[in-house]
Parts: sequence; structure tokens; C-alpha cells
Amino acid sequence: MKVFGFLKDVLGANRVTNARRKLIESGSPENIYSDHIKEVANELHPKVTHVVVTAVEDVSPTARRFTFEAAEGDKLPPFQAGQYCSLDLKIGDTVTTRPYSISSAPFEARTGEHPFFQLTIRNGKPDSGFAANWLYANCKVGDAFTAHLPFGEFYYEPLRDAKNVVALAGGSGITPFYAMAKEIEHGTLDMNLTILYGSVSTKDIILEKQLNEIHSDKVKFVNVISGEEDYPGEKGFLSRDIIKKYSQPDTTYFVCGPLPMYHFVKGELDALQAPARRIRMEVFGAPRDVTAAEGYPKDFTPKTFKLTVLRGIQEDVIDADSREPITVALERAGIKNNSRCRSGACGYCRTELVKGEVFVAPEGDGRRKADKQFGYIHACSTWPLSDCTIRIPIL
Amino acid sequence: MAFYKDNYDVIVIGGALAGMSCAMRLASEGKSVLVLERHNLPGGVATSFVRNGIEMEATLHEMMSLGPTDDPLYIRQYLDEMKVAIDWLRVPEAYDLYSPEDNIDIELHAGRRPDGTWVCADEIEAKYPGTKGEVNRLLELCLKVYESTLYLNEHTLSKLQMLLHHEELVKTAGYSAKEVLDHAFHLPESVKKILAAYWIYVGQPLSTLPFTIYAFLMADYMKGGSFVARGFSHEMALAMQKRAEAMGVQYEYCQNVEKILVKDGHVYGVRTSRGDEIHARYVASAPYPNTVYGTMIEPQSEVPVQARKYANAMPMSVTNFSVVMLLDRKPEDLNIKSYSVFSSEVPFDTDVFWAEGKKHDGWSYVTTICLNYANPDCTPEGMTSLSITNLPLPEAFDDVNADNYYAMKRAIAKQMIEQVSAHLGVNLLDHIVEIEIESPMTIARYTGMYQGGIYGYQHSMDNSVVGRLEDVEREQYIKGLVGCASHQLVGDGMACNINNGRIASKIILEEMAKEAA
Repeated sequence: MKVFGFLKDVLGANRVTNARRKLIESGSPENIYSDHIKEVANELHPKVTHVVVTAVEDVSPTARRFTFEAAEGDKLPPFQAGQYCSLDLKIGDTVTTRPYSISSAPFEARTGEHPFFQLTIRNGKPDSGFAANWLYANCKVGDAFTAHLPFGEFYYEPLRDAKNVVALAGGSGITPFYAMAKEIEHGTLDMNLTILYGSVSTKDIILEKQLNEIHSDKVKFVNVISGEEDYPGEKGFLSRDIIKKYSQPDTTYFVCGPLPMYHFVKGELDALQAPARRIRMEVFGAPRDVTAAEGYPKDFTPKTFKLTVLRGIQEDVIDADSREPITVALERAGIKNNSRCRSGACGYCRTELVKGEVFVAPEGDGRRKADKQFGYIHACSTWPLSDCTIRIPIL
Repeated sequence: MAFYKDNYDVIVIGGALAGMSCAMRLASEGKSVLVLERHNLPGGVATSFVRNGIEMEATLHEMMSLGPTDDPLYIRQYLDEMKVAIDWLRVPEAYDLYSPEDNIDIELHAGRRPDGTWVCADEIEAKYPGTKGEVNRLLELCLKVYESTLYLNEHTLSKLQMLLHHEELVKTAGYSAKEVLDHAFHLPESVKKILAAYWIYVGQPLSTLPFTIYAFLMADYMKGGSFVARGFSHEMALAMQKRAEAMGVQYEYCQNVEKILVKDGHVYGVRTSRGDEIHARYVASAPYPNTVYGTMIEPQSEVPVQARKYANAMPMSVTNFSVVMLLDRKPEDLNIKSYSVFSSEVPFDTDVFWAEGKKHDGWSYVTTICLNYANPDCTPEGMTSLSITNLPLPEAFDDVNADNYYAMKRAIAKQMIEQVSAHLGVNLLDHIVEIEIESPMTIARYTGMYQGGIYGYQHSMDNSVVGRLEDVEREQYIKGLVGCASHQLVGDGMACNINNGRIASKIILEEMAKEAA
């Protein structure tokens, strides 16, 4: 065995060892630590963002828009139109979070003297949530919140989506599309957006004035009203005929609204033979009534179970109502646990199920294959069917 | 009420493969071990994610050093010894190299026959007649170096014994892969290019890559082949976590360690972002020495000058840029024929590729992985799981900030997709169902790793593994503190990190024994 010659060959190890020692000796003796990539990563995805409410205004008889700015010393991260913000809320003894699509445009969070973002929250409907009602009634200018943003995959992806987008919105599902429309008008999002906004009555329309004020060749806003015979514009539901009328040969459909609308719209898009890759659905939250979910055990009597919660070497036992997701049981007991999407998708509430029987909502089960195999659940979309033991992170 | 015990024998910062490997070995020796992982998943970048119910590998992943069950290599042996059960699937081929400017289009397979000849030597012979003898001779040399390296992983020898019993390792240790290939073998340029394709798995051009590392890589892959876990890399990570826990390791998610506490030159614990101060006389650290000495050691006066020089001098290796896609056709319908394809737009030259990695305005050498060929059930019927990866240097992203980040990501991804589309004769942009683009910032976000670095420090001639091995002991600058990730002895890769973890546990156990004596 020979490379160059015996002596040179056998002394190779000494050569590389000395070269390395020389390299280390050349290093600066000072602390010159800096990490540009981590700084950018932290600015893109801050662990938390401290925000303050700077404006509250009604944008319809049933919806209120809250404007948030970064608290002193903090900065709002960039986001993509359609993404959501998760707010930490303390309501009575309950510590909870809620995801809300950001209704303002991304450029507004990064430019101007007072960068801001907005959340538009609906109230007064039977399907409005506990937190939405609380915010609607209590949140005022000057209030401070801990926010987590940006999250979600419900944004226009030019590498994937068709240039022509038809948005199918219902209820507060209009909010991400308003963000997109504003960003298009500003010239920083390049897509053609037609918003079909389905409402029962004209009184239900959120952000109507604001949407009508958008002036861009690339944005079209169409109300579709199902409950007013004399409405002069588009009438009925978001049916295949209306969708087809506003579609181009290659169109991507973005769908955001209440769960029943998803099922209806999906059927209409299937009838139009829209390819799966051209349909983007925002996550829709956990079912309000899990007993009605597909696969839920028949005739299961609602019950309060014992939930044993392991954190490190600590063990706590709390109550868990079979009609509520495990996340909610933890929140009612004031035990911190991470949750973001509250729809089973994002995995922030990934939890080890040590023992017990549970029901996992099949729609939106975003678990990894190995997690299913090793008994991990997403607590926001999992309901107890027996006494259970779980392990969660120490927060 | 408390979440932690008063004291642990060892705290492991980072619950990725190296950390879990280290923790398992320590637990098997009866030590009490706490693993603190900042994410809510195990495995670091050895992980997966789900989009609309479909799971995808986080990045380019294949596991070396396993070998078949009837002829296990050292990492399979270690996982077996630790009783970690993973459902491995064999990757069918070693790799394809497609370099049209060189007229190279070849597929190689792993395998060494009982007579000592190599399957890939025949495959190369078929296209480049007359090369078989030299290719076999090269791979035999690689195998000898590989076996010696593994032996030295476990044993210490005198220089004479080294020369007597490990002649091939000794005599090639001072040379780059290029020097050995050019001077000790008679191979046509094209064949040398074909045999250099794996360079990207260490991210070092052949002119500065120690032959020791080249040989290790070639022998290991070509002897044992490579594997993926049926349940994605997350299965491997989770199986290791569960096994570590069964062995008594306390493994905690969402715990960011901010400080490593040192007094009188010896570690005594850590403090987390949550504010918990946890005590142990030994800490194994996944954070890079740069981060550890620069921001974590408390008080900073405990950082020796030599440690700062070390961290400041170490040249950062590459990071990762991957485009991960789910496509709406089966692989055959997209002209995708193999699991792993290395492709080059320009005449194959690792120095050129390496230099391109200092910027983000065009990368000629990309790796395309189609997971379906190794794991046919990884997608629903009629779909393809495809990733395109390049491994640039962190400095390529110096001009990127939070405001131009998304545009930069998409511009690079688009170019990479178009490049591969041109090779396939199919526009992949027309078939994307899901797409995620992973940059060094993504790595930094989820793992916290310094400069988004996944490959540790460069395996360069002035930072050779032989030199690293020689100086392991003198580079333990703070007593009780041991590095445990790809910035350590054997460098990057999933199998290598399992080995890095093993080595860290060995150093800790030896130190413990010394202190007890």
C-alpha cells in the first residue's frame, strides 16, 4: 500500500493533527459569538409576541375588529396573508388559547410608524364561542395579551396554487381573504382573487365596507345571500353554478367558514371535478358536539372521568368531561398546555396517552404514523372515554 | 411538588439521536439521566410532519451503518444491544448520478460479494470497460480503512501496532480523498466523478475531504446499503425515546436550556428558560461549542481562553435547504425512476459545487429523493413524496432577513424544481399538492442549532477526524461538559450521531470512574 511514499504516508496522521492544532491556535480568544440565522429565525417565529390593543371597532352588527400593536420592546413578526394568531386568554380560572385568522394585511405589520395586525371576531351567533363572546364583551383599548404568530398553512403558495383563486367564505371565514385582498391591493401579493362570500342575510356580512373599499383589478368581491328573496346580487348558497361562473379553467379554491359549509362546498367542488390539489381548506376547529362525530361510540353516556396528568416526576389528578376535548379539561384545571390550531392539525398539543380509552376526531387527525402506533394524541381533538393518564410537557 | 429530582448523574441537552443514544448507554450503566429537548418532538431533524393528513419526511434521510439483519453493521448492533426496535426498509439502490455535461447517467447498487468484488464495480465496468479492477481495489482499501476506524472507535493502540495492523488507515490518514484517488489509483475522470457523488453527505469537496472520511462513507454505504424507517424518521426517533424512557431516562419536551452552570472549572447543572435550576455533575450538550461558550456557560469567566479559540476557529460545515413536495401522480408517471438521484447542471466538480454553496443564486448539484421507492406506502395511492435538497454553507444566507425571507425561499425552491423538472421532462410545478421549503432558518427555529448547522464542523484536512480523535481528551475544556451532536468526533449523519452519542457516554463514564477513584 503506497500513496506518495513510505515516510510521507506514515507521517500523515501527525500532519493532520498538527494542522488542526494550528487551526485552533489561530482562533480568536475573544467571545465573538453571533448567529445571524438564528436571529432571523427568531424574528420570523418569536416564541411569544407581547401585544397591546390599540383600537376596537364594530365592522358589522355582529363582528368587532381589534387592532393590536407590539408592546414596548417587542416587534411583530412577518406573516403570510391567511395565517392565524393564537391568543393566550385567562377567563376566570381557565387558561386557554384561541386561534383567529389575521384580518389585516402582512405589510401593515411590518411598515409604517405603528405596525399592527387585526383580528375580527364574531359574536351574538349561536355558534360563537366562549372565548369570542368574552373578547367581544371585555377586550378594550390598552389591554395587553400574549400572542403567538404566525401559524397555519392557509396562504397562497405561488409554487403550488393557480394564479386565479376563488375564495369561498362563510361567516367569520371572510377574515383571511380580507388580509389577502389588502395585500394584493398593496402590490405585495401577486394573485387574482375572487371572493364569494356566502351569508344568510346582508346583516351577517362582515367587513363589507372595508372589502368594497379595496381598489384593485385583481380583487373581486361578491356577496352570495341565501335568505333574502329581494337581494339584487347573487342569491342562494355557494353552489356549483355560482362557483363555476366565477372560475377560470385553472382555479385554486380556498375555503374558510363553518363546518357545515365545508361539507357542502366540498361536494360542489367535487361535482365541478376540481382536482384535490386545487382545493385548500382552512382547519375548522374541533366538533362542538363530539357525540355526533363519525365513529363516536353509540349510546355513550356522558360522564366525568378522572384524568391523571404527569409532568416530570409530578402527578396531578383532575376531572375530564367526556363531552370536552382533553385540552379543555387541562385548561379548566388551570394546567398550562400548548395549543395553537385547536383542530387536531398543528401538533402543538401532542400528548402521550399513557393509559385509558379515548376518541380521536377522524376529521383533521393530523397525527404522525408513529405517534398513532406509540399512543400519542393531539389533546385538542381527543375526548376521554374512560379514566385516563397522560403525560404533557412542563410549561 | 416538583417536576424534577434534586439531582441527576447526567443532564443531556437535546433529545435528538446523539442525545438519546448517549442517554440510553448511560442508563444501561445504571446512571440517572435527564434529557431536556426544546421541541415537543424527539429526534431533532430526524423527524417528519403532516399536511392534510399526509406525512412527509422533514428532509433527505437515509440511514447508513445498519446493514442487513444477517450481517449487521455497528449501528444496527448498537440499537439491537439497546433493544430499540425499528421497522427498517431497505433502500433499493445506492444512488443514481446524472451529469449530462459529463455524459454520466448511471445507477449503482450496494453489495460486496463473498469473493470480495463489489456490485457497483461491475455496474461501472459495464459503462467504462477496464475499470473494474481498480474500482474493486479502491473499495477494498475503503473497507480496510473503515474497519480500522471502527476498531479504533473502541480501542487505543501504539503507533507501531497501528502501522502493523492498520496500515491502510495510517498511510492514507494524511491525504485528501482527491489525493488518494489521483495518486494511488488509475481511474478515468468520469469514474472518479461517479465515485465522488456521496461527497454531499459530508458536505466537503474531495480536495479537502480527508480520505479517512471518504473511505468510511463509501465502505459503509457500499457494504451495508441504506435504510429508511417505515413510520418515517419520526418512528426511529420515537422508538429511541420510548426505549430510553423504559430504561429509566427522564425525557422532557419543551425545555430550552439557557445556561450551563459551572463552578471551579466543573459543571454542576443547568438552568432552563422556565427558570428551573437542575443539578448534575455531567452535562452532554447538543448545542454547538460556539453557543455553549458564547452564551450558555454561567459565569462566563469560567470559559477557558483555549475553549473560545477552539469554537472560534472551527469552520462551520454546511446547512440544509430542502424543498419537500407531495405530487399528484405516481412516480413512474412523473418519469421518476429511483429513490436517490444526484444531479449536476455543470461538469461534475465538487470544488465548484462547494463554492456555489457560499451563495444562494444557483446551485448546480442537487439531490432528489423519492421516498416511494423505499417506502411504497408513504403516500396514498397515485401520489409521490419527493424532496430536492442542497447543502449550502450558512454564509450563503448573510443577505437574508425576515422581510425578504419568504421571497428568497420561493425563488430558490422554484429554481431547484425547474432544474429537476428539466431532467425529468415533466414540469413538477403542475403537480404539487403540498410543498414545504426548509431553510437553515427552519433548522434554527426547531432545533436551535448554531447557524442552522446540521453537519457540525467541516471535515476538512485541517480538521480531520484523525486529528479530532487524537485530541479528544485535551479538548474537554470544562470538566463534566461533553459535546454530543454532529459537531463532535465523527460529524454529521443520523448513524454518525448515534455514534457521537455513544462516544459522549463513553467519555462521561470514564470521567465518572476517574472521579470515583
